[in-house]
Amino acid sequence: MINKNTNNETLLSYIMILVILGLFGLWIKGIHIDSGRQQAGMIIFSLGFVMLSAYVIAQIVKATNLPLISGYIFAGILAGPYVSGFLTVGMVDRLSLINDLALSFIALTAGGELRLSSIRRQGKSILLNIIFMALLVLGTVMLLIIYMSAYFNVTSDLNPIALFIFAMLIGVICIARSPSSAIAVINECKAKGPFTGMVLAVTIVTDVLIIIIFTIALAVSKMLMSGGGVIHMTEISGLLVEIMASLIIGVLLGWTISAYIKRIRRDFLLFLLFIAFGVARLSLWANHIMAVQYDISLHLEPLLICMSAGFFVQNFSRSGSYFLESLERMSLPIYALFFSIAGASLNFNSLMLCWPLAVCIVILRMAGLFGGSWLAGTISHDPTIFNRNAWMTYVTQAGVSIGLAQLAAKQFPEIGVHLNTVVLAIIAINQIVGPVTFKMALHRVGETGKG
Amino acid sequence: MKVFFAFGLIIFLAFSGYHLSFRKFKVPLFAHKFYLTGLEFLFLGLLLGPQFLNILDNKTCEGLAPATALLLGWIGMLFGFQFELAKLKRFPFVFFEAAILEGLLTLLIVFSGIYISLPFFIELPDHIKICVSIVLASAAACTAQTGLAFVSKKNIGQYQATVRLLRYLSSIDGLIAMLALLFLFMYFPARHSLVIQNFILGSDTFIAAASFAGIIILFNLFLIHRKDQKELALIIIGMTIFISGFASAMHFSPLVATFFVGVLLVNLTPEKEKIFNTLVSIEKPVYLLLLVFLGSTWHIESVWIFGIAAGYCLLRFLGKVISGAAISKLGAKMKTYPGGIGFGLIEQGGLPLAILYDFQQGFAFEAANTIVGIALISIIYNDLLSPNLLNLLFKKRT
Repeated sequence: MINKNTNNETLLSYIMILVILGLFGLWIKGIHIDSGRQQAGMIIFSLGFVMLSAYVIAQIVKATNLPLISGYIFAGILAGPYVSGFLTVGMVDRLSLINDLALSFIALTAGGELRLSSIRRQGKSILLNIIFMALLVLGTVMLLIIYMSAYFNVTSDLNPIALFIFAMLIGVICIARSPSSAIAVINECKAKGPFTGMVLAVTIVTDVLIIIIFTIALAVSKMLMSGGGVIHMTEISGLLVEIMASLIIGVLLGWTISAYIKRIRRDFLLFLLFIAFGVARLSLWANHIMAVQYDISLHLEPLLICMSAGFFVQNFSRSGSYFLESLERMSLPIYALFFSIAGASLNFNSLMLCWPLAVCIVILRMAGLFGGSWLAGTISHDPTIFNRNAWMTYVTQAGVSIGLAQLAAKQFPEIGVHLNTVVLAIIAINQIVGPVTFKMALHRVGETGKG
Repeated sequence: MKVFFAFGLIIFLAFSGYHLSFRKFKVPLFAHKFYLTGLEFLFLGLLLGPQFLNILDNKTCEGLAPATALLLGWIGMLFGFQFELAKLKRFPFVFFEAAILEGLLTLLIVFSGIYISLPFFIELPDHIKICVSIVLASAAACTAQTGLAFVSKKNIGQYQATVRLLRYLSSIDGLIAMLALLFLFMYFPARHSLVIQNFILGSDTFIAAASFAGIIILFNLFLIHRKDQKELALIIIGMTIFISGFASAMHFSPLVATFFVGVLLVNLTPEKEKIFNTLVSIEKPVYLLLLVFLGSTWHIESVWIFGIAAGYCLLRFLGKVISGAAISKLGAKMKTYPGGIGFGLIEQGGLPLAILYDFQQGFAFEAANTIVGIALISIIYNDLLSPNLLNLLFKKRT
């Protein structure tokens, strides 16, 4: 299904670009590296190479009506450590700060796109979607792992308690979504309407709630592992403090951004860059200080801070449209950068190791998403077309899930390696399939091209 | 001490923000100057750097390497875009000769002065001494137009021809700096991939020509079809990072590489206007960020640095005044311009900052930060002196 707007001449020019980029890549890979400057140069070159290839591949992919971010992710996979090896694991790690900055911009956009009026209007539907999808995804995934464990190499040797904990943690992680992918597809499709509003709200609120659900799951797991019967409330109260602190900082930041737009306006992107950098560093610094000085494990969430800041600017100031327009101007380079690095970070070794289990979990997760969203939509009397297609928008998964898996792996080293491997494999599939299904759903409900 | 300094700077920046918000607020000329050139961002960088808050520590700067490469590349490309032949031809050719002579004389005077006097202050191996002298002389050769913003409308109206020449000189004389940097990056002995003999004999000339040709073809292929503003931003950002990374990996200067790409693009690409508009749209943020990064590496080890910077500033002043006098002897047409035109060429602007940052990134030896620190103080001196000297130039004429 090739888009007629993209003619042969255009495709040829894109292929020529890829060939020239490839020649440059081969050339630079062949040179002898003997200094830190050259090493840094290689990383910088690779970033430019991946950004440009991501753009070109996304344009080619666009011709088949797939979303641009699939093209970016695909470019990242091709350039990444598991296919061409052009971007090594070390290089991807060294780009993490740039990646965090891009994520902050995306989170600001996500918060800015969330309208209070739409949440109020669809409150019931949003709430039911969150509850039913969380319960059904958790339930189906847990049941699958517990009852089919004997058939999969990563779960066959776990004792019953470890298996239960493993199933519960994977189930909880499966509830997580990817607000960054959601906002990228919505922006690309210029989607607007009740369906888009609901999907975005469900995705963002789930992203906040998943941290709470995961901490409760961790506390239950610890209790089961130690054989005791008491859940320690310190972690849960600490978690609430963390979320509150992140939200409050986000609101203050939102207020600062709106005051800046109102009073100064000049060099706004530079100001946002300082904000994004400040949030990333402040979170790291505050977490470190709290841990070292007061022995409190506070993990301020940069994503949550930026989303609430964006939400504040959009809904509690008059600067919302200027704010979103400014972010929109820089959106393409940021998405290309962020999702191509995300593609390069996808772990295909993990997928190779446990693909049968990962595929089964992905399918059952989708079933859970479908069941949950259909049930919620039916009870809230949403249009049938919404209920049939909503699940497709919740498939994407990314950073938050990886973070949760790593946290769980640290807490339970006995199952940590298996857990990480399975989660990375699931994310690899969901991040490839998710944007495609998301775009399809937006097309089917007819909300594209309205934003 | 750090806390007090940080507090002082925060108040200063808040004041700066206040000034930006209420532009009619009257401040003294030197302070006005300070805000106009964005020098307060240099102090913001100092505050964020390892000497104070340590937010921009070495690891963070490493992580931000692609962003800093983008800054250098952006400035290089933007400067290259000033060399559009069709536009240059609108001015008399003697202007071009004047700009080259002015830049070259300043470069030679400052280079000689630094090369002779530097060993008295800092111990450096001979080859490093040459590098340092070239970099400081290159930075000294550049001039900015921002100083003209302080010339009264009356003077601008009265001395239109002089103002026009000053504008022209300050946009073109950086070419000499770029050529000097090109020489430096070919010459520097620590480089193994490209040495000057190779360059002269041809193998590296071929490599350089092939890579420039490849980059220009790439750029044109990207621009074959109509692109919207967002796509253009992505392509320019991507290409700038790509070229800067390529240059660094080849032990070359991102600034110089993107400068030449800019020169080629502006003369060969039909989409030059669109590219230029995109480049200009974030020129100021790029420049301010560069100030922050430079500020973060600023080392003021002792008070004597201020003295050396004053010496460097004086040397540059001599270079500009002498070269200014020389260009008025370039022919009958140039005799109509004041002999003291050098007084109007003291402002340094953004390009020297990029040169210093490029040098700092490319030549990792111990004294590099000290050298950059000296040059930064000198830039501040020049920026503060420039409005008064410009006024002096026009007063003399009156």
